[in-house]
Amino acid sequence: MAKLNVQLPGLLSPVVAGRLNFPIEAPTLRGALETIRRDQPCLGLHLFAENGELRQHVLCFLNGTNTRWLDDLELPVKNGDTLLFMQAVSGG
Amino acid sequence: MGVTLVVGTDKGGFVYRSDDSRQKWRIEGPFFKGWKVTAAARAGDGTWLVGTASDVYGSAIHKSADLRDWRQVPQGPAYAPESNRKLTQIWRIVAPDSIWYAGVAEAGLFRSTDNGESWQPLAGLNDHRSRGNWCPGAGGLCAHSILIDPGNSKRLWCGISAVGVFRSDDAGVTWTAKNDGVPIILEDKDFCDIGFCVHTIVADPSDPNRIYRQDHRGMFRSSDAGDHWERIENGLTSGYGFPLAIDRRSRALFAFPLESDEYRAPQGGQFRIFRSTDSGDSWHALTEGLPQEHVYANVLRGAMDADHLSPGGVYVGTTSGDVFVTRNGGDRWFALPGRLPRIHCVAAITEGA
Repeated sequence: MAKLNVQLPGLLSPVVAGRLNFPIEAPTLRGALETIRRDQPCLGLHLFAENGELRQHVLCFLNGTNTRWLDDLELPVKNGDTLLFMQAVSGG
Repeated sequence: MGVTLVVGTDKGGFVYRSDDSRQKWRIEGPFFKGWKVTAAARAGDGTWLVGTASDVYGSAIHKSADLRDWRQVPQGPAYAPESNRKLTQIWRIVAPDSIWYAGVAEAGLFRSTDNGESWQPLAGLNDHRSRGNWCPGAGGLCAHSILIDPGNSKRLWCGISAVGVFRSDDAGVTWTAKNDGVPIILEDKDFCDIGFCVHTIVADPSDPNRIYRQDHRGMFRSSDAGDHWERIENGLTSGYGFPLAIDRRSRALFAFPLESDEYRAPQGGQFRIFRSTDSGDSWHALTEGLPQEHVYANVLRGAMDADHLSPGGVYVGTTSGDVFVTRNGGDRWFALPGRLPRIHCVAAITEGA
């Protein structure tokens, strides 16, 4: 098990009572996503679509790498890794 | 008695609180800053409820005891993954007694029997035999109107765009389309009882069989609980519009007709609210205190409500962020302070009532 830091955008503040940064423990990237979904279902509703995938306009970065670019979510994670969620905003 | 007015906008919710005369108002907010607040209600037990939505993060229902501290309900309305339906917006929350209802997009109706902590779909409507052929209106495929017979809680109505009005006589188990007398807008190849574009329905508080319907194709009234509908447009500049409100004490009706479905703006740039004091037999324009030049703002279907005081207060939120209020049944109007984002809904609650 590794201890990761999760960072959320400000818009989700009401969903997590203002706690936009929090730690989770998981062995892999997939495990980290599943932990969030399982342990914080209200937050999970806003990050994941009905089919369990990330919502279309939600981005997730593991140490700065877009997780959609990864071939395998079974990637092991390590202590101190950062999982950053952002909304995909482009243009104006 | 003062009034608390919850206003849901494109960028958050706002609360107006009045003094007893409803003359002085102060504004609080925004709460859920940056979120669309698309539905607001207060349950019979005093709980405040709002529906929030985000194009990125989806939609949820939140509860509060005081309009300040909010908590997202843990098991809000949701579709099963295998349904391939997405829940994009909470359109209406109705929670008068122990059973609460929420109408959503994609169109569906959900019910809670545990004070909103969990919500279950009403399969008889959500999976109606015609469901696969339902088509959306311009605002999406949404269940936006919910009525409950105050004398018989097993009798319910639901308005869905662009499908029509459905009624259940068995507490939501089975549903029957109720659109006889209303012109169809989109004929379906398989089902002759869908393809009607209801915009809003409201019930006469003293006669549960009397229902009023602002439809895409005009203004209508039913005297038999929706079995038949008759057109009631005498005095209206147009039968086309979205919101409809009824004052429970005077039974006066309030509507906001638009030029047409093509233009969807007040005719001639005049912001006129129309009132009927004879159950829809005739309508008259109300203009005192309302802007009468160069106004092309709209009023969305959820953005008109009445406080049911005497004389009656009516609250109208516009797509350009103004809130207009009357505290004398519509004879004279004034604007509340502030210019808000596009207004989706207003809910007027009389304190101490």
